[in-house]
Amino acid sequence: MWTTALISGISLGSFYTLIALGFALIYGVTRNFNLAHGELLVLAGYAAYWLWKTWTIPFLMTFPAAVIVMLVACFVLQRLFSRLGEPRELNSIVLSFGIVILLQNAMLFLFSSDYRLIRVPAFGKGLFLFDAYISNSQLILLLLSLVVIGLISLLMNRTYLGKALRATIQDKEAAALAGIHVKAMGTIAFSLGAVLIGLAGPLYGATHYLYPSTGHSVTLLAITITIFAGVGRMRGVILAGWILGLAESVAVILLGASWREMVGAVLLISFLFFKPHGILGKGEQ
Amino acid sequence: MTLLQLHNVTKTFGEIRALNGIDFSITEGEIVGLVGPNGAGKTTLFNLLSGRFRPSSGRIIFAGTEITGLKPHAICRLGISRTFQSSRPFAKMTALDNVIVGCVFGKGFYLRPRREDKCTALEILGMVGISHKAETLAGDFTLSELRRLDLARALATRPRLLLLDEVAAGFSPVAVKQAVKLVLRVRDRGVTMLIIDHFLNLSLKVSDRLIALDFGEKIAEGPPGEIMKNRKVIKAYLGLRHEEEHE
Amino acid sequence: MQNGEEPNKIISIEKNSKPRVKRRRVDEGGLVLLFFVLLLLPVLVRHDDYILQVFTHALLLATLALAWNILGISGSISLGHAAFFGAGAYTSALLSLESGISPWLTIPLGGLLSSGLGLVMGLICMRLRGAYFALATLAFVEIPRVITDNWDGLTRGSLGLVGLPGLPSLHLGSWYIHIGSSVAASYYLVLIHALFLSGLVGFIFHSNLGIALQAIREEEIAAQSIGIRIERFRLFSLLVSAFFAGVSGACYAHMVRYIGPELVYGIHFSAAPMIFALCGGRLTIVGPALAALILYPVDQFIFHPLLPAGHEFLYGAVLVLVVIYLPRGFWGSIRKAP
Repeated sequence: MWTTALISGISLGSFYTLIALGFALIYGVTRNFNLAHGELLVLAGYAAYWLWKTWTIPFLMTFPAAVIVMLVACFVLQRLFSRLGEPRELNSIVLSFGIVILLQNAMLFLFSSDYRLIRVPAFGKGLFLFDAYISNSQLILLLLSLVVIGLISLLMNRTYLGKALRATIQDKEAAALAGIHVKAMGTIAFSLGAVLIGLAGPLYGATHYLYPSTGHSVTLLAITITIFAGVGRMRGVILAGWILGLAESVAVILLGASWREMVGAVLLISFLFFKPHGILGKGEQ
Repeated sequence: MTLLQLHNVTKTFGEIRALNGIDFSITEGEIVGLVGPNGAGKTTLFNLLSGRFRPSSGRIIFAGTEITGLKPHAICRLGISRTFQSSRPFAKMTALDNVIVGCVFGKGFYLRPRREDKCTALEILGMVGISHKAETLAGDFTLSELRRLDLARALATRPRLLLLDEVAAGFSPVAVKQAVKLVLRVRDRGVTMLIIDHFLNLSLKVSDRLIALDFGEKIAEGPPGEIMKNRKVIKAYLGLRHEEEHE
Repeated sequence: MQNGEEPNKIISIEKNSKPRVKRRRVDEGGLVLLFFVLLLLPVLVRHDDYILQVFTHALLLATLALAWNILGISGSISLGHAAFFGAGAYTSALLSLESGISPWLTIPLGGLLSSGLGLVMGLICMRLRGAYFALATLAFVEIPRVITDNWDGLTRGSLGLVGLPGLPSLHLGSWYIHIGSSVAASYYLVLIHALFLSGLVGFIFHSNLGIALQAIREEEIAAQSIGIRIERFRLFSLLVSAFFAGVSGACYAHMVRYIGPELVYGIHFSAAPMIFALCGGRLTIVGPALAALILYPVDQFIFHPLLPAGHEFLYGAVLVLVVIYLPRGFWGSIRKAP
């Protein structure tokens, strides 16, 4: 039973990291909190579902489509966020909260509140590993997430672009003074975020039930992971994702699935209480 | 009587030692100037005195009471008030209301503002010279008016010791003259003052005494005339070459 | 701070005429007109039950928005006020259902429990500022929701509670008013509640508490340095805000006579007060109520028939527009306009 929890925790945790990376990146570079992150993920999932269901497009082809939809959505979002003044963080929270309402109702209108699921035949099967059952979906989630996380990691640490991004995350003004085009970095952050959500969306739609209000818990996840890791610390994001995934899996075994969302909420509040600027990061006075 | 005493006060922020072993005292009725180049630790010292930060070590004693590590509102109630380099007005409130806030909370709490608070506020606004703008929103003030509003608000809490942070920074000679008159008027009300003055325009004219800081340490203390000729102070402000020129 | 008589001032120096008095008379005239319309609404709509019910609900949301703004004066944004709304609803519902206590008593008790919940939240979250506080409130509402959802033994879990007692009856000498069964009487009860709360918010605005909260909102560090105890004032405003949010929730429970965790702890009751307060104007006294009285009926009468699913997009759209184009809120802009 505990091996199952471990596998589920790591697989889910890696997926959570994938989801949270976009949020953390956008927040780190532009200091905008996008509360509609979860809703965007669900929207991407719905887009994939719609293509798969109505146009019988093969599951794999829905990924690029979802990415494109997300790029458009994030483009619009970025324009909206750029109209905000100080304090940016609070204003972005309020603005994106409005977007949450907009998107939830749009999805309600387009898809109704029925539960939807993309049925990928391969996901139903699985294999036995060390006396525990690991489903194909868990395996795919794990592998895909790790691959994408690895690519992002490479980007951030081994390329000039990554360096520029990290500089902007750490100190926007200093980066600007060093000649980095901060606005362009923002666009890149939003675009990367869009790609990440676009990749995660169809996966989400194939492994979780889609309904308009499910985005909220996803957003809370992303926020929890980002706060735990501290601003812009990518390595922390991965660790945080795993911890969250494991904590949830354990909680499900000990308490039952219905307490899952409260576990996330309690974790987030504890992280905010102990170190609003990140558990792994250095605190400010 | 001695109003303020600092004993070996040190403040570190992580790796950075902003203040190191600061020792001095201020007598009631004095005007003391705190001078030194940027980064010397002057504002950090103010933040310690007003309670915004805790000293890492050392003690601060005000009118016989230990105030090391007390919270800002408690320190205000005991009688220390301050102005800010960036003024920090309550922008969406009128000037009068800004000062009334100081009257109301400086010494305790009660339910509604009283008549006397309004009168006192008006009087203070008159003293600093902006009573004609009492009903204007603080957000619409000019720089010089903001500084005076900041001062008025700090005075409204009826302090015994007033910490003035760069109150004359960027002022023309004429404005400095007015600032001098204002500071002396405040002294006449019985308020002791510690003035941060990086530009050395105001403090030289009003201070009884100067304390010079550099890199978090006290490098000199004495009457303005002496301090301005002090080699260490010149070196701190102008650098080594000038120090050699003076030899 | 604004109210009917003394705009932009805590204490006015002169009450004589000023250049802006003409505009003030228009605003205030509008408010007076609105008051009479609300007072006579049942007569004006010829006792059309549906219209009355919509406006009753709008007034209830107005009270929730006013309660929210008590915390909002200090600059704090709460995204989880449904926690208090729901706690009040469940407390009052359970007490009146299980113990047969009259809602006259259980409604304020609901407020008290919500206040207690606010105390818990405050003790944990008061150190947090701005965006981080908002995030904490977003998470916090999950706690009472999940507990209520799972504690089947006490709350019937996700099935919710049905058959709640209606709004209590009123004995006035020999008069006996069944508020619960009369749409018009329920309407007047909520109207009185809204008027009372508006008056209370106005009182707070002009008291030292309101002054302190506004100073805290404007410049926290300066406020501290002139003797204001930040955490104490913010906590107190949270307690009062939570109390009245709980009272609103309790009233709601007895009005609709059914509650469930997804409903009363849901995003609708967290979003609504925040959106109304921001759209009306956080710096005004009645702005939040006005926004509720306009937006909710527009939603119900115009958009609901057009879009049975998704008509609430209106709130999101208005919020986005207000945040970008009209940050003072529409009533706040009217009040402040030269």
